Amino acid sequence: MQLRVRRPIDIDSLRVELMAPAELRLAGSLVADSAQNEIGRHLGELHAHMVEKKFSSLTVDVRGLAFVNSSALRIFVDLVSRAQGAGYRLIFDLDSSITWHRLSFSVLKSLAPDSVQIRNHAPAGGGRGS
Amino acid sequence: MSRVDTADTERTCKVMPEHRGIEEVRRFAELAVSYCDAECREATAMVATELAENIVKYGTKGASPFVGTVSIAAKADMVRITARNEVASARDALSVKQAIGQISATNDVMALYRSRLAKLFSSPSLPRAQLGLLRAAFEGGFRLSCSYDPPTLSIVAERGCKTL
Repeated sequence: MQLRVRRPIDIDSLRVELMAPAELRLAGSLVADSAQNEIGRHLGELHAHMVEKKFSSLTVDVRGLAFVNSSALRIFVDLVSRAQGAGYRLIFDLDSSITWHRLSFSVLKSLAPDSVQIRNHAPAGGGRGS
Repeated sequence: MSRVDTADTERTCKVMPEHRGIEEVRRFAELAVSYCDAECREATAMVATELAENIVKYGTKGASPFVGTVSIAAKADMVRITARNEVASARDALSVKQAIGQISATNDVMALYRSRLAKLFSSPSLPRAQLGLLRAAFEGGFRLSCSYDPPTLSIVAERGCKTL
């Protein structure tokens, strides 16, 4: 697996960092097709790692992920599908002030309620500058 | 970025036929509604980006170096995004019209969005996500309409908006 703990990788405007063996942090934005393909590959490797090590849950912190396009949302659909198939739990840490976090992840959870847990967090600093 | 003022409150960004064109539309949208509240800014940037992505993916270039335009009109209490592009086939345009008709007709856009995610969930090999217009309505809270005057397809997205 190319991802290493505390060794962030920048893919276009997306930063990917494994904070612990089963804790991933995504930040920035995800729009470009090339970046989607690359993060898809990393997540595929991480999934294989989860299965190999028999981890019971993967935490994905997207609080710093400000923007994704609709094609990129599919990456999360695939992630949930894989987790459900392999029997581990996905825990998404969200910024509750970001609309697409609140809405899209709640719908994702409804597709696999036993495999997805959502943790809503207030934005750092307590607001969005509006 | 190539931008022209077309009216007092409407600005237009011409979309270049590559990924850079999508990024430019996103920045254009953020500037166009910079004095609106955070929710409106986020929604407008998302929808303008989704529409620009569709233009880049499915628009045809014709004689111009651009593949289409995205216009944004922001007034005190509303924002309107208009995407225009030429399409290669009437079938593509009618497919978009049908999708927008379905979204506009429903009282439960979340159910449509969930249904599409469920389809992607159960069929990972589907080649296209086709979530952009649904996302505009569900996440962005925009009302969508569409017209087709061959060969030009126009999509209009409108929502209420609060200024700061």
